[in-house]
Amino acid sequence: MLEIKNLHAKVDGREILNGLDLTVPSGEVHAIMGPNGSGKSTLSYVLAGKDDYEVTDGTVTWKGENLLDMDPEERAAAGVFLAFQYPMEIPGVATMTFLRSAVNAVRKARGEEEYSTPDFLRTVKEKAKSLQIDMAMLRRPLNVGFSGGEKKRNEILQMSLLEPGLCVLDETDSGLDIDALRIVSEGVNALRSPERSMLVITHYQRLLNYIVPDRVHVLSKGRVARSGGPELALELEKSGYAEYGQDEASAA
Amino acid sequence: MDIPVRDFRTKAEQDLLDLYERSADALPGNASIAAMRQSAIRNYAGLGLPHRRVEAWKYTDLRGRIEDVPPLLAEADIQVGETELEAAFGKAVMALPAYRIVLAGGEFRGDLSDVGALREDGVELSSLAQMLESPPAWLTAGLDDAAARDDDVVIALNTALMTAGVALRLPEGLTLQKPIHLIHLDAPGAPGSIYTRNALVAEEGASATLLESFGTLGAQGTDAQDEQRNAVTTVSLGPKSAIHHVKLQREALETIHLNVWAAAIGAEARYNAFQLSMGAALSRNQVYVRFDGEGAATDISGATLARGSQHCDTTLVVEHNVPACESRELFKLVLNDNARGVFQGKIVVAPDAQKTDGKQMSQALLLSETAEFDSKPELEIYADDVVCGHGATSGQIDEDLLFYLRARGLPEAEARALLIQAFVGEAFEALDDETIGDALSSVSADWLGTPVE
Repeated sequence: MLEIKNLHAKVDGREILNGLDLTVPSGEVHAIMGPNGSGKSTLSYVLAGKDDYEVTDGTVTWKGENLLDMDPEERAAAGVFLAFQYPMEIPGVATMTFLRSAVNAVRKARGEEEYSTPDFLRTVKEKAKSLQIDMAMLRRPLNVGFSGGEKKRNEILQMSLLEPGLCVLDETDSGLDIDALRIVSEGVNALRSPERSMLVITHYQRLLNYIVPDRVHVLSKGRVARSGGPELALELEKSGYAEYGQDEASAA
Repeated sequence: MDIPVRDFRTKAEQDLLDLYERSADALPGNASIAAMRQSAIRNYAGLGLPHRRVEAWKYTDLRGRIEDVPPLLAEADIQVGETELEAAFGKAVMALPAYRIVLAGGEFRGDLSDVGALREDGVELSSLAQMLESPPAWLTAGLDDAAARDDDVVIALNTALMTAGVALRLPEGLTLQKPIHLIHLDAPGAPGSIYTRNALVAEEGASATLLESFGTLGAQGTDAQDEQRNAVTTVSLGPKSAIHHVKLQREALETIHLNVWAAAIGAEARYNAFQLSMGAALSRNQVYVRFDGEGAATDISGATLARGSQHCDTTLVVEHNVPACESRELFKLVLNDNARGVFQGKIVVAPDAQKTDGKQMSQALLLSETAEFDSKPELEIYADDVVCGHGATSGQIDEDLLFYLRARGLPEAEARALLIQAFVGEAFEALDDETIGDALSSVSADWLGTPVE
């Protein structure tokens, strides 16, 4: 279970999160919606442990442990996974090498045995296939020259390989056409399980047709302004974010 | 011509003249070689040791750095075993299938070299010291060619003091299936001055790979103080020949390493050079490439890994003397602590060398606030129909990339090492021979602290 209490965070001296409370029980998928600038991406970076995001107050516990005390790699080992809105391109690092380093680092930190080469390849092949990822793509440098859809599918592949307990998806739907959206959503849904919590951050309701959440929260000015069931997303689709601090035009 | 009179010499400058005076009688070679040595030492006496006011040495003050000159090494009985070699160069490098030639303590070691196998496979070769007694025309040409670069102090001193080396000739059309691994070693526990000279001649259509490794015997660090290494290799490429020339420099941190490669390239020939520099307190790597025939190409690339107070200077001069040749240069430097990296790349295009295509790039990754990278491109273009370009960058590890890797579970040190490896990796891609590339890459990975796959 993820428990966020009274979270305040600053970026470049500017307070972005302003007393955010949120609880995501095991096995549940919660959606975070809200206008631009409401703190959605900041929340995801704070959870993953990015350096320049300064937590000034509040607590974040994951399975009872203080997440804020951990380095990013310790959080990954503890089961936190952030699917980036803009996955990084790293020339000179083959995707496969990266996947293997990451998986083995996490397994090692969790006290599990590292994969043997054949076992690893078999696992990757199987998971890549279900995400319609060509093995040739995995031989290319990490995310370099990948299309938007390829990058997002690659994120979900990493997510399924690292077997996290908390998946944070930061605008995974951005830049995806309808086919890619379907493939990515199916990949995410396949990972839903009673042991896994998910936080799906999105600006649009569209993604939630595919990944149906248990709860929907609307962020405004760095805190949860409203919470409800899946129907809240549909309502927002009609009314827009106007009452949450942003005009229709830029929300559309 | 008058030799310029210098009224002041540093102690080291004088010591070098004395070293020559003391050693001259015992140095190998016939009368004409002795005359060549005389002329070279006179040339040195006029030049002195280079310092910052000498443009080609703007960032490397050799005169200020050398205080003492250790005795000239020419020791024949140094013990060299497989264990020592693996310690000096890494297992991966010693496991490469190759013809070995060993130079240790300033001597050619026939007993440790695959002379028989090379001769059986068609290569003409001999110890340089032996050949200097009666040098064949193909060797004299290389010696003269180097001596003609009379503004180069490293070559002048080398010509004056060379004790050993190997001369190799690949006859017309010969293709060697394995690299020739030329191993340069010192004498353990006996710091000295080592002057070696090698010559490689590839006749028309011949091809081979020459890997030169420079290392220190015994424990790195304590027992090799003030070693001074001066090594020159001349390469002559006949028409349509191809030479891959690869260097691994992993000497102890007390060494001063001066190295020159001078290549003359014939028509439609290809000269690919790669240098990995990791050791020595101060290293100066000079590569001269001259196009003598049309339609030829060169690719000169390398990686420098330096930390502590290491100083590594790579200085390239590519002379496009004839039309339609192509040159590519790519150097990557990783500099930590107070290390200083220097890259000087000069491209000279002669008036009638039309259709020249020359490009040069140097990139440094600075891992500390106090590391320094100096880059000086020089383009001298006298022809009007050419494509030439240069670039240099210097930067730090991208924190966003680092966070991405750490968020995927890679510990910070491993993530950093992976990013550094990725940065230098591009230079290694220039190595056509993947087995050598992998071996050197694993040696560099040891330096970077990453696990080797």
